Amino acid sequence: MLKVKKLNKIYPNGTHALKDISFEVKKGEFLIIIGLSGSGKSTLLRCLNRLIDPTSGSIIFEDEEISTLKGAALRKVRSRIGMVFQNFNLIPRFSVLKNTLTGSLSRTGTIASIFGNFSKEEEKKARSFLKTVGLNGKERSRADNLSGGQQQRLSMARALMQNPELLLADEPVASLDPATSHTVMDYLKKINQEFGVTIICNLHFLSLVKEYGTRVLALKDGEIVYEGPPEGIDEQWFRTIYGEDAKEVRIK
Amino acid sequence: MEIRYPEFSWGEPLVCLVLGLIVSSVIYFLLPRLSIGRAIYFKTYAQLNKPLLKRPYIYLGLFIFLITLISGLYVSQVSLREFFSHSGLMGAKRIFIALFTPNFGILEHALFAAIETIYMAFIATLFAIPVAFVLSFFAAKNLMRDSIVLIVTYSIIRFILNLTRSIEPLIWAIIFSVWVGIGPFSGMMALCIHSIASLSKLYSEQIEGIDEGTMESITATGAKPIQVVWFGVVPQIILPFISFTIYRWDINVRMATIIGLVGGGGIGTLLMQYQGLAKWNEVGLLVIIIASIVWAMDYISTKIRQAIK
Repeated sequence: MLKVKKLNKIYPNGTHALKDISFEVKKGEFLIIIGLSGSGKSTLLRCLNRLIDPTSGSIIFEDEEISTLKGAALRKVRSRIGMVFQNFNLIPRFSVLKNTLTGSLSRTGTIASIFGNFSKEEEKKARSFLKTVGLNGKERSRADNLSGGQQQRLSMARALMQNPELLLADEPVASLDPATSHTVMDYLKKINQEFGVTIICNLHFLSLVKEYGTRVLALKDGEIVYEGPPEGIDEQWFRTIYGEDAKEVRIK
Repeated sequence: MEIRYPEFSWGEPLVCLVLGLIVSSVIYFLLPRLSIGRAIYFKTYAQLNKPLLKRPYIYLGLFIFLITLISGLYVSQVSLREFFSHSGLMGAKRIFIALFTPNFGILEHALFAAIETIYMAFIATLFAIPVAFVLSFFAAKNLMRDSIVLIVTYSIIRFILNLTRSIEPLIWAIIFSVWVGIGPFSGMMALCIHSIASLSKLYSEQIEGIDEGTMESITATGAKPIQVVWFGVVPQIILPFISFTIYRWDINVRMATIIGLVGGGGIGTLLMQYQGLAKWNEVGLLVIIIASIVWAMDYISTKIRQAIK
């Protein structure tokens, strides 16, 4: 469903963040991208829904070249790709329900959305997705009153509101404790399996990679150094990816 | 119109400059091996590679500062003799006694003028809010960097706002009193223009300081640009906006009294009239009223701003 060819990103300050990245993602995959901080994981993910414009290369999403789209066409593609972030990026002062409804902004008229006039069906949908991520009963609380794990689940409900074909997760558990991390990853897995949403996820922890990923991509200094099944990452590969002195941290 | 003492002319500074140039070029070109230090300490040329003053620039700076201080005192005509002169002290005593025995006969009159001032400030702030609100988004760098058109719009709006803000409300009041006539309307217009410029700046700085993650996440849902601003930016800035606006109303009430002095209406105009007639008892009452308004506004605005934090 997604083909990336020779993708390059050079920032205005000269940093060459992505170097000739090429890979493919098939429908229903749970692809995990690993690598050190600064290896280009976040940049890669943000290029896929064009939060960052790539310098060169092509991104083909469902047989459509999206790396040069603009305006309404770009928004249309973005609406088909959900995204969750390390810092959740919710609207703290809004209710849980209203935060979920922001996932339907692309389908709602500008004026209607400014006055908070979301349709009844959207609201029904929002409630059912909140149930999916286990936040039923919390609809009226403010988003900033939720715990970290709950906030991340809320951001998943928001992404589900887009009816996404692809979900990008940028370090979804990096600011959560180990136990909560597993819950959040379990919900990602549920979205992957029950809703058939393809997932591309950036992760730090190798133990989580082996448990959840169907395929792994390792980045180092903006280049792909490993592509294959999670089980294939042995001690040797681990050192290549994370450096000679690295030690594996496991979370159980 | 000669109102300055001492009279300024180009002659003296030019003579000093030319003299200094001549002296320094004589030293530099004709006496390269002579130095005052060596003359004083009878040192040989070879011993002189160490500077006599370790930090010559500090001494030079101090010297320049002293000269500036002395000429500053001279130019601003600071005079202790005038300050403590007998007739001067008597005048001060007379005016202070008058100020502290205010004439309550004009209380009603003064209160109506004060109400005029408060409403003037209120309307000026109210009219400024929507304009400043819209302008602030165009004056926020983080929203305006994506294309050339936006950057140019940003620069033009910033320039106009800076220009408007650098002109004091007092000057605006003079301009508007010629334009729409002396009275509260011209004062209101002056305050409004200045409020728009300064509120836009405060608002836009607030926008520049937002957490851009929320904007990013709303953009990622495929929302339209206006929706991104409404959901990604506005919820983060609404409280600081209200706080700034109340603070601005507070400032406007203070300024409105000053603006009245140049014909902007309200209690300031009344103050100027009584002051011109040297009716110090009436002036005393007006000062008390102004002080209590300013105190009350300050108190209320602080309370409200604390409450919405």
